[in-house]
Amino acid sequence: MEIKIREQENVAILSLSGRLDLASGATLKEHLKKLTDEKTIQIHLNLAEVEFINSSGLGALVSIMKEIRLLKGRLTLSNLASYVQEIFEITQLSHIFEIYTTEDEALASYQPVEAN
Amino acid sequence: MTDFRFSYPSRSEIANQVLDDLLRVLADYSIDEDLIRGLTLAVSEAFTNAAIHGNRERPDKNIQIILRVMESEIIADIIDHGKGGVEQVKSKEPSTSMDEGGRGVDLIRYYADSSCFTEAEDGGLKVSIVFNRTKQKTT
Repeated sequence: MEIKIREQENVAILSLSGRLDLASGATLKEHLKKLTDEKTIQIHLNLAEVEFINSSGLGALVSIMKEIRLLKGRLTLSNLASYVQEIFEITQLSHIFEIYTTEDEALASYQPVEAN
Repeated sequence: MTDFRFSYPSRSEIANQVLDDLLRVLADYSIDEDLIRGLTLAVSEAFTNAAIHGNRERPDKNIQIILRVMESEIIADIIDHGKGGVEQVKSKEPSTSMDEGGRGVDLIRYYADSSCFTEAEDGGLKVSIVFNRTKQKTT
């Protein structure tokens, strides 16, 4: 899996492509750990290019969400392909993740941080 | 009927190779894309369970996958050499939304037209997953 990271107005945006499974899920968790260590706790995952996800990949996303919630941050997802959306619905995860149709919609939902 | 037989080491990270092998074999047949997605997902889940829970990632134990492609259906058998686990699978409750694991069997059951968990000849677990080809979408 390939992970491209950029930042926009205090939100780290990770664009994922490829397969999200046990191995790539562990890699994703490592990237998120680095971000949270740097106090970045507003995270958006764009899943547009995710071609495969299994229960191990879902488990990694749940783990990341729990970690971010502990830190009082936010995790949003967007651009789920129809079959990925279906897997989220089957597993009931669509009820616990904040899922947006597009990345722009997700980013608009983040409150802008006031300058000090 | 055509049989394809694969043997893999008990390492969960091999799941990617399993997917590649399945996709390569299935590409030679006219199979609906949704069926391929469901099949590869279900086999991937069974393989990961076999590696982690069945063989406990022991290097001396392999996992066999037998794929039978027939005109009306596709059957995948995933066989480990662990200590069984049929009863655990049968009594497994669906995972709750905040669990980090435990969704594999739920996904197998959802996507397969039928699935069967039985004891293998040596006492391991054999997962048989059946996909019906006749319900393919017509285009």
